[in-house]
Amino acid sequence: MSRVRAGQLAQDLLVVGLTFALLLGLAFPTLWIFLTSIRPEQEVFSDTFRLISSTLTLESYRTLLAKTTFPTYIRNSLVVSLITTVTSVAISLLAAYSFSRHRFRFRGVLLIMVVFSQLFPYVILITPIYVFFYHLKLVNTTLGLIIAYIATTVPFCVYMLLGYLDSVPRELDEAAIVDGCSTIRVICSVVLPVAWPGVAATAIYSFAQSWNEYLIALTLVTRNELKTVPVGLASFFGEYTTRWDLVMTASVLATVPTLIIFLVLQRHLVSGLATGAVKQ
Amino acid sequence: MGVTPLPRLSPAKPGSGGRQALSGYRLRHLIEPYVLLLPALSVLLVFFFRPALFNIVLSFQRISLFELGRGGKWVGLANFVALVQDPLTELALRNTIFWLTAMTVSLRIALGLVLALLLNTLVIRRWHLSGLARSLVLIPWVTPPVVAVAAWQWLLQARYGAVNQLLVETGLLTDGIPFLARSSTVWWAITAIVVWRELPFVVIALLASLQSIPDEIYEAARIDGANERRILYHVTLPLLRPVLAVVTLLITIWTFNNFLYVWLATRGGPGVRTQVLATQMYLEAFVNYRLGYGAAVGVLMGLIMLVFSVVYFNTAFKKSLGQA
Repeated sequence: MSRVRAGQLAQDLLVVGLTFALLLGLAFPTLWIFLTSIRPEQEVFSDTFRLISSTLTLESYRTLLAKTTFPTYIRNSLVVSLITTVTSVAISLLAAYSFSRHRFRFRGVLLIMVVFSQLFPYVILITPIYVFFYHLKLVNTTLGLIIAYIATTVPFCVYMLLGYLDSVPRELDEAAIVDGCSTIRVICSVVLPVAWPGVAATAIYSFAQSWNEYLIALTLVTRNELKTVPVGLASFFGEYTTRWDLVMTASVLATVPTLIIFLVLQRHLVSGLATGAVKQ
Repeated sequence: MGVTPLPRLSPAKPGSGGRQALSGYRLRHLIEPYVLLLPALSVLLVFFFRPALFNIVLSFQRISLFELGRGGKWVGLANFVALVQDPLTELALRNTIFWLTAMTVSLRIALGLVLALLLNTLVIRRWHLSGLARSLVLIPWVTPPVVAVAAWQWLLQARYGAVNQLLVETGLLTDGIPFLARSSTVWWAITAIVVWRELPFVVIALLASLQSIPDEIYEAARIDGANERRILYHVTLPLLRPVLAVVTLLITIWTFNNFLYVWLATRGGPGVRTQVLATQMYLEAFVNYRLGYGAAVGVLMGLIMLVFSVVYFNTAFKKSLGQA
């Protein structure tokens, strides 16, 4: 009996050990960014491997924030991502409510259009969007970037929100409608309070998407003071003599917002993202 | 949940209120759906579908980045003829299909399946490690793609990179290898970056599907005398197959068009070793200033993706759209 139990325990330990060895391997590159960022400069460029350096310092953070243009990139990214998120979620919520609550002509066609544009590789659109935005005088403007990001985030937001709104009982808003509430009021004070975890997940998705986006920002914005974090960061390591200590410090700052949001809310977010994306 | 309020079908107010409420209700159902859709659809039409069509127009023109004000010159199929004759196109197409897509997608599915099965084992749940495990899995995914490339460039750096230092110190190498600059190793290095960053999506999607399989099915199989291996091959994997198909199609579509990883890791180099369609498109349009030619590459990519999208729709949506 105890032999069986010991055998079971050994097997359990093996599974747990293997799983966490793989997981730590997965987490290592991100951990390494952080470890590099708090290392003194001469130890970053040393010939021997050391997991944790002898002295820890925040010197590279000070240099990055005081002597480079990185703080400007962070501010630009925050402005663009936040405005995109709010606008995109708002207009997607209206559209998703319409798809969820109404049956109307062309509903199927329009829904397919939304799903298709979610699949459509916007990489291909970069050339025509550049020409189009050039004529609208939106190249090298924050507004241009925001509009482009709204267009690329709306399809998935509509699709995700639709899944959440479908799970809100219709009786709730029908009651409010009969009581004389306008549709906007129904959405704000009946649907939102019930569906907020889904709306929050959608907002976070949209924020992360705009925060991470590289190609559109690279093409539409060339003036340094308008660049966002991904483009600014990439310009740091394109050079021949790369200051890896500063690149890794900037990388930590670029990762922090999404990392915090996801780790705190992971249980709510992940199931929503996964089921939203592969819903049968 | 509280008590769901029942809809009051007859209005409370007496008199004409009833009729007005009814016609208002009907009007609401007639035009409101379209009004609510208007903002989202106009954004999509103007900034998504219009550019997509305009891209086709551009692909029949010769137009330089510097003469946008003047507009382009119609050249018929010249861009496509040049595209077909360019030996770089074949290389980029092969790289995109084999390395960037087939290689990374199959590795992600294989590794993702292993990790999802491990995370779904009873012992992880019994020892209350699920939350911790899921957080660790997510770490690559919450790392922005640009940061992912930066991190791997630093890890793989020939002299100061951790990977090379570890390989040299354990005696596996005598000198560090510039993995991203050597043509024999560069694609493996890019594969590592893509697989690392994009693996979590596969794991999380498969794990969600695994957890939706009811325990009774496993119990029934065990009572019938099936061992773990048979349960895996005859119960778990068959039940996972629909989700596996959808996930494979989705990541194939996303990866085929990816620009960022190759561009930031190598700019398509060394030489043209890692050129893919997306980087070719960007190079032609914004480095060589041939917008029409870049648009033609985009049309080629769009046509290939159309095939995948149709397959995706047939796999994932036929059922749900049929019901709607």
